Amino acid sequence: MTISLRRAALASSVSLAALFLAAPMVFAQDAIFVLQQDEVGVPTYNIVANGNTNVGARLIYDTLTVQDADQSFHPGLAESWVEAPDGMSWEFTLKTGVTFHNGEPFTAAAAAAWLALYAATDNSYMTASIEKIEAVGDNTLKLTMKNPDPNLLYNLSSSFMGVVEPKAFAALGENYGVTEAVGTGPFKMESFTIGSETVLVRNDDYTWGSSLAENKGPAKIAKITLREIPEESTAFLELKTGGVDMLLGVPTDFLGELAKEPNITSLSLPGQEVVYMPFNVTRAPFDDIKVRQAAALAVNQQEILDSVYGGVGSVANQFLISALPESKVAPEYLISYDPVKSAALLDEAGWVMGADGVRAKGGVPLSITLWTQSDSVFRRLTEVVQAEFKAVGIASEITTFDSSMIRDQYKTGEQQAAVRSYYWNNADIVDWFFGGDRLGYPNISMFNDPKAEALRVKSMSGSANGAERIANFTAYHEYVLSQFPMAPIYQPVQNIGYNKDRLVLPAVIHGTRIGAATVLDMTVTE
Amino acid sequence: MLGYTLRRLVLLIPVFLAVSVIIFAIIHLIPGDPVDSMLKVGSGPEQRAIITARYGLDRPLYEQYGIWLGKLLTGDLGTAIVAKRPVLDLVLQALPHSLTLSGLALLFSTVLGIGLGVVAALNRDTLLDQVIMGGVLLGSTVPSFWLGLLLILAFSVQLGWFPVSGARGWSSIVLPVLTIGLGGMALVARVTRVAMIEAAQRDFVMLLHAKGMPPMRIQLRHVLRHALIPVVTILALRIGWVLGGAVTVEVVFARPGLGTLLIKALNQHDYPVVQAALLMLAMAVMLGTLLGDILQAAMDPRVRAALQ
Repeated sequence: MTISLRRAALASSVSLAALFLAAPMVFAQDAIFVLQQDEVGVPTYNIVANGNTNVGARLIYDTLTVQDADQSFHPGLAESWVEAPDGMSWEFTLKTGVTFHNGEPFTAAAAAAWLALYAATDNSYMTASIEKIEAVGDNTLKLTMKNPDPNLLYNLSSSFMGVVEPKAFAALGENYGVTEAVGTGPFKMESFTIGSETVLVRNDDYTWGSSLAENKGPAKIAKITLREIPEESTAFLELKTGGVDMLLGVPTDFLGELAKEPNITSLSLPGQEVVYMPFNVTRAPFDDIKVRQAAALAVNQQEILDSVYGGVGSVANQFLISALPESKVAPEYLISYDPVKSAALLDEAGWVMGADGVRAKGGVPLSITLWTQSDSVFRRLTEVVQAEFKAVGIASEITTFDSSMIRDQYKTGEQQAAVRSYYWNNADIVDWFFGGDRLGYPNISMFNDPKAEALRVKSMSGSANGAERIANFTAYHEYVLSQFPMAPIYQPVQNIGYNKDRLVLPAVIHGTRIGAATVLDMTVTE
Repeated sequence: MLGYTLRRLVLLIPVFLAVSVIIFAIIHLIPGDPVDSMLKVGSGPEQRAIITARYGLDRPLYEQYGIWLGKLLTGDLGTAIVAKRPVLDLVLQALPHSLTLSGLALLFSTVLGIGLGVVAALNRDTLLDQVIMGGVLLGSTVPSFWLGLLLILAFSVQLGWFPVSGARGWSSIVLPVLTIGLGGMALVARVTRVAMIEAAQRDFVMLLHAKGMPPMRIQLRHVLRHALIPVVTILALRIGWVLGGAVTVEVVFARPGLGTLLIKALNQHDYPVVQAALLMLAMAVMLGTLLGDILQAAMDPRVRAALQ
């Protein structure tokens, strides 16, 4: 079943539903959240070894540092930290009086034992820059580095680096994270049914809420059930009928339906996704930078925002989410709709407009293939891009791939241009998608430029501290933008839908997404 | 009969091996790489090589197949690459949910299908027959995904009788059972009707009529018994298909089960999980077919005689 069919089904379903008077079902207490689609199907809360996680991990485990919506870092279980001027060591002063769910104290020794767990796992790269882990006294954790790693705070705030109780981890073996998961977070795992639901109960001993939460003490919600509903239309109907209290992810095209429900409201958080169009710089006609720039300038971001996304979100004029400091590039690097310049660039490149509205050079028409994935929104967006290309004389044919298979198609290197998105809130995404050592996928653009490579290496491993890293990544980002290996299109927001008769959310949502800070400040109306 | 059953069981071995080769080949030849689902931004190309080697994905396909089959024969389904858990654990957690759903759906479609088929046959070429067969045809042509949503709208949204989704309590299984069962019911009803009509034209039925036996008694006691032979065969064959049909329904109703496990594993290209789930479905079809043949032989003296 493709998403387009699902959406079509939903549209029809909702129309039918509008004919009926729903009798809301009342659930007496506790809160039921529905996980967002990309968090469905997590097989374990063993975050040390596993590559997938969900909001449950952010409630069961605390992290040493926490990241706010503006991407700044704040104290979590570490109340402060000091980085050596050369970046070769870090000292974290840990909170005292913290205990794990099993009663074990959270100390520097426990934190050191937890960090050491990563070495033998598929997540080992997260601690790969650490040479030595030492517990200095009860509440100081010292990390000696192999090389400076200004990204350490980011990794330590990641939901994959929640602090796990090492003794329980060792004792439970492969059952860790399935039958039990032991952290210091505001909620304890009561039960976990893979693919169905996770039941979390309040940690009544909790008094160490992060600096992002108003409420530092135990959560006001006694029990949270995290339900996994893979079908978006089913999740919507659950919210509509009162079966659940909150959808942690709502597709933009569902917002209109949510707005019709008197007891439901939606909330938009800063997005962590960017929709863009990579051009394969090794294949004609995009091996010519003028054609790449012309194609990028032919994309009318505002029109797409309005017509495809109903004005929800914002246009993207560069490659990163706008909350990142590395996104603040000099104005000349921003890529914005300019059809006149686009046409002029194509003229300069020798592509002459034909009578049929398609440009040609040496008898060869300017015709490309646009790849997209089997999602109705992507299809719609790609069709709009197709029309915008046509307006400047570029003919294009759309080829749709199943979203689970398109990555392998990229690896063939046969793509000319594609419409896709990524979800990430760190500037190292520029390295991920444009690094010369990852051609095909993730480097769909096949971009392998010597100057970009030098800037990339400097950004990834030549920064002694956070400020240097920002400066280096900004320069790398600017250079990549100047070469037009892609066209930025759109930056979505994270949409949350919830029953306002049941839940009261804090006025300001802290954190990069709904997590412990928000849930601690959330109340349920009985 | 025992010899026949044993012969059929032995014949399942090459079928099983052939199915295992097909499943393994299909899964590994379709585009996709489980390592893509495991690599996160920030990990280097060397991490891909490490993970690929760790899970033996760099070995030749025949070698991977040999290792998988070898473990399979000892009851070890391997470890999920992306989920990183023993596949047997994942399957054993999912299977009871799917078996319950499929079993109830099969029961529902059998009872209602035979009942409707009998009523239609008894009222052949009347308005009632046409209404039943028309309804049955409609039921069999509506896609289960769409039917599921319609049932949710009617019974959950409008009437509030059943929960929209989930697997909490017996009320949550009613709509999924209806969704799967209605399609199966259509087939059973059609087969029952045709078999009843055919059986009613046999000589022994005319003889019973001539002897003055009440028509309804003839139909329900003698005709139906003969008509049930093809119906039972169809039902046995449907065991595997019902389990397979639960895949989409589990997703629509957000129920745990083999389908939910399979869809997620397919998206992540988690080969060991996909292979195990498909193998379960294939085995259900194989065993259903075997059961159908054995039941047919047991119920039909002509088949037994032919076997002897």
